[in-house]
Amino acid sequence: MKTVPIGSGSMAWGDVLEPSVDMAKRANVKYICFDWLAEVTMSILYTLKLKNPKGGYPSELPEWMRTLLPIAREKGIKIITNGGGANPEEAAEAVYRVATEAGLSGLKIATVLGDSITERLDELRKKGIKFTNMDTEEEDIDSIKDRITGAYVYTGAEGIMEALKQGADVVIGGRISDNSMYVGPWMYEFGWDYRESYWNKIGAAVTCAHIIECSGACTGIIMCSLWEEVPDPWNIGYPIVEMDENGDAVVTKTPDTGGLVNTWTIKEHLVYESHDPQNYIMPDGIADFTTLHLEDIGKDRVKVTNMSGKPRPDKLKVGIGYLDGWKQELQHWFCWPDALKKAKHAEFIMREWLNRWNVKPERLHVDYMGFNMAHGGLVRVPDPEEVPDLPEVGLRICAKFKTREEALYFRNHHSYWDAPPPGYVFNTTNAPARPSRVIALWPTLVPREEVPTKVMIREVK
Amino acid sequence: MTKKVRLVDICYARAGDKGDVSNIGLMAKTKENYELIKRKVTPVKVKEFFGNMVTGDVKIYPLDNLESLQIVMRGGLDGGGMRSLRIDGTGKSNATALLRMEIEVD
Repeated sequence: MKTVPIGSGSMAWGDVLEPSVDMAKRANVKYICFDWLAEVTMSILYTLKLKNPKGGYPSELPEWMRTLLPIAREKGIKIITNGGGANPEEAAEAVYRVATEAGLSGLKIATVLGDSITERLDELRKKGIKFTNMDTEEEDIDSIKDRITGAYVYTGAEGIMEALKQGADVVIGGRISDNSMYVGPWMYEFGWDYRESYWNKIGAAVTCAHIIECSGACTGIIMCSLWEEVPDPWNIGYPIVEMDENGDAVVTKTPDTGGLVNTWTIKEHLVYESHDPQNYIMPDGIADFTTLHLEDIGKDRVKVTNMSGKPRPDKLKVGIGYLDGWKQELQHWFCWPDALKKAKHAEFIMREWLNRWNVKPERLHVDYMGFNMAHGGLVRVPDPEEVPDLPEVGLRICAKFKTREEALYFRNHHSYWDAPPPGYVFNTTNAPARPSRVIALWPTLVPREEVPTKVMIREVK
Repeated sequence: MTKKVRLVDICYARAGDKGDVSNIGLMAKTKENYELIKRKVTPVKVKEFFGNMVTGDVKIYPLDNLESLQIVMRGGLDGGGMRSLRIDGTGKSNATALLRMEIEVD
């Protein structure tokens, strides 16, 4: 029976390179997929592209490929990534250059295009597409129109399958859905298509892609259950799914590494970000997580069977990013004696300062670090008299302003409220953070037929 | 007197985010625990528990095969990842927050 092992190389921009290099060198995999994009990453990258037309993709991509491509070529491993970000053409060009420098002649690099509808929003609205906000149900997209930083469609596996059909060794796309980077090669390898007879198999591919698409998150990097039992957490092996042609799979990881794979690590990832478990909606199919069965079948090996699915949705998800003012965060620490009393005094001065100087943040949030920063209103902050001997406590203030100038003005006056109480811990390692731009997300849908993808292939000379 | 149990003693939990929606996978440590949380952890109770930290509606989906509940809370991220003024804009710590909840054991 044919089995196709696919490994996960990264979960987002900021993941590390070593585990995928180790996987490429030592594991039995046919593909390694690299996700670089979280929800607002595309907007950030699009802003970078506006500043520099050659940029707009994660800058690490070419260097990672310089390391990985020679190993992948030797082992016959194909690489698939959405690390093209907001500029897949330039990203592919950069990878082409490093492949040329590495002497990898004959290597075929494919670019998948078509995910950006940033410049097509007006055209699509004229066709009657409303772009209703899925979170808030707002329909008035005109309210953010002048502040849009990018509109990207989570595209499916079609472009990847086409690229593989044309012999691509490396596939670089923009906002290809994390999930589709895995579903694509499985569908291509097994000859599955979007007809009824393959719904459950595609459901299996969607499910397994979900299990491993966050790299080490299912092999012990993030463990809510057995976190103390993870072996060698300084050397976590990244996950691999061996999918067979019947749509059953085994999840494992790079051999002789740290981390672990068992029914708990897989269960944890199945419930992560999955919402309605009977309808895990992805561009290539809708998976049902309630039918599957997990079984430990050996050290770091979990068998997944009875996975199922439903036909792919008519509409694709779109993430529209838009500018939404500026945030200023400040953290102030106070120490014994009367640490909490002093922190509260600082908050009092801060609020009076806002009144006196007529500074009006749109929103203001205050936490007491050491008490309620994480669990908010679920934790009571004591009266200072109850904890006179508290060794230290932090005051965290986060304020939202319309303009950067207002945010900076607030930041630059922090010594009014943090300096007076004796016992303020002056932080010489970190100056207060600068204002940060808020790029908000307007999640919406677009009919899939409006977003055709296009594939271009270049062969290294 | 009714006996109570804290979720931290009978479950593990993991949170995720999409836009302004916070979700928590609540995984029972045993089959008996699962039957209990399936009956006692209700949308009304979860919504009330989180108070003003969750502004929208709460839905709960059972996964019998994984002995887990999927809890989906709209408006659970103070506006969503980047807009949130909370330090944990993606609400990963909402998972352990939920583990503070107490339920009655019959």
